[in-house]
Amino acid sequence: MAKLDVFSDEWCKAWEDKVKASKDFAVFNKGWQGDIGCVMLKDPDASVPEDQFLYLDFEDGVVNGIGMVDKEKAENAKFVISGPYVRWKQVAQKELDAVKGMMQGKLKLKGNLPYVVKYLKGVQESIRCLTEVDSRFPDD
Amino acid sequence: MAYDADLNFNYFGPTKVIFGPGSIGELSMEVSALGRKAFLVTDRGIIETGLVDQVKEKLGNLLAGVYADVPQDSGMDVVDQGAESALASGADVIVSLGGGSVIDTAKGMCIVMKEGGGLKDFQGMQMLTRQQTPHVVVPTTAGTGSEVTSGAVILDKDQGQKIIIFEYFNTPRVAILDPRMTEKLPANLTASTGMDAMTHAVESYVSQTRNPISDAAALHAIKLIVKYLPMAIENGENLMARGQMQIAALLAGWAFSNAMLGLVHAMAHSLGAICRIPHGLANGILLPHVMRYNSDEVSELTADIAQAMGVAVSSMDVSTAASAAVDEMEAFIRSVGLDQRLSDLGVREEELEKCADLSMSDGSVIYNPKMVMDAAEVLNVYRKAY
Repeated sequence: MAKLDVFSDEWCKAWEDKVKASKDFAVFNKGWQGDIGCVMLKDPDASVPEDQFLYLDFEDGVVNGIGMVDKEKAENAKFVISGPYVRWKQVAQKELDAVKGMMQGKLKLKGNLPYVVKYLKGVQESIRCLTEVDSRFPDD
Repeated sequence: MAYDADLNFNYFGPTKVIFGPGSIGELSMEVSALGRKAFLVTDRGIIETGLVDQVKEKLGNLLAGVYADVPQDSGMDVVDQGAESALASGADVIVSLGGGSVIDTAKGMCIVMKEGGGLKDFQGMQMLTRQQTPHVVVPTTAGTGSEVTSGAVILDKDQGQKIIIFEYFNTPRVAILDPRMTEKLPANLTASTGMDAMTHAVESYVSQTRNPISDAAALHAIKLIVKYLPMAIENGENLMARGQMQIAALLAGWAFSNAMLGLVHAMAHSLGAICRIPHGLANGILLPHVMRYNSDEVSELTADIAQAMGVAVSSMDVSTAASAAVDEMEAFIRSVGLDQRLSDLGVREEELEKCADLSMSDGSVIYNPKMVMDAAEVLNVYRKAY
């Protein structure tokens, strides 16, 4: 199967399908309320000329959708995680734990940390699903 | 104490440390280097000790105002109120004089003063993008380590939970460790705050995100606490012991600010939020029980703690040394006169389940060396400590 370009609709859909297929995610995310906006800051040297905005719509163990959105929608989500593109790539490749990255200032979280921690296994499972998507990054 | 081959870490410890009996005399020079006017944050208990008058005298005409209404478990409303007073006074530097609650309240005020709004607008981690209001800390306890950490723990009364605000840009600029500022601390508070420092050191040493620098700080802190906490309790005017305990607390603060904490803190925060149990007392009771819970996962590291506590002998294997560390920690807590059981503190057994549930959403639980899978495991530890 061909690699999917990160930030493309196909890539988002492939990730969404992986999360939907995860029984663990449905269990770990049970009770979760709140959308998540991810802001990937531009890095022209890595062929990411503009900021990218990703939106994860999870609710009570159900995946309503994963997709690229505009700045306003991402930044108005209940939880907003932002950081340089290179950090997101590290997260997607399991080289950086997202929460450890937040503690070290590599990623920023706007929102209630204890709530995120309560559902941490769901967050980790959604990222594990992403690592199963055969992704082609802009700077690969 | 082996590390993974792919060890990687950040170490962050930018606070200037001024140590020594009489070092409070440096306060006005430090404030002048950071701004024009200082606002003093403290509590009523510290006023009664006479320390506030000493600090006011040192600040002289640099002092713009005082906020002394910080309670034991300070909340967001207290932070917002204090920031409003500080801004109205025209101050551009915060000086905090007190223990953990005072220091953390002052940290929250530093953010609100710089960014505007209320503290609830800043729930999150590493959200800030610029230096916050300069903050000089003068601790009056030796335990919290908050004088050098980037975190603040503040009670969110609406959610009934203590929240952690962790921001590199809000780390105190200066910590003045004057042992004389702690000599009036009563023996029981000396013991409980000292056990807070011990818990920071132990939890950071076994944390999933430990690193060689935090490890060195943590182990040295354990050695200092074992030697000097009993001396500081026995004679509060022993400035040598007081000073070494301040250094231990600071080292443990640096350690946990970089390596993070674990299950003891998750459980102690929950006891604080639900049962209003003082943090140091809860830590002291829970620490050996969590050490025992974790010890099969981190037996070598727990054996190192036995060595730091001076109870490991060469004939011991790792498992025996780890058990000796847990036993010694229980004995140490007894020796400093602290309560041994949660029931001694008036915790009701029916509250433990709620505390266990809340612990699962505390940021500290993530870094515990043994993965905590569900609240039932936490409840089991609480029951052993009850």
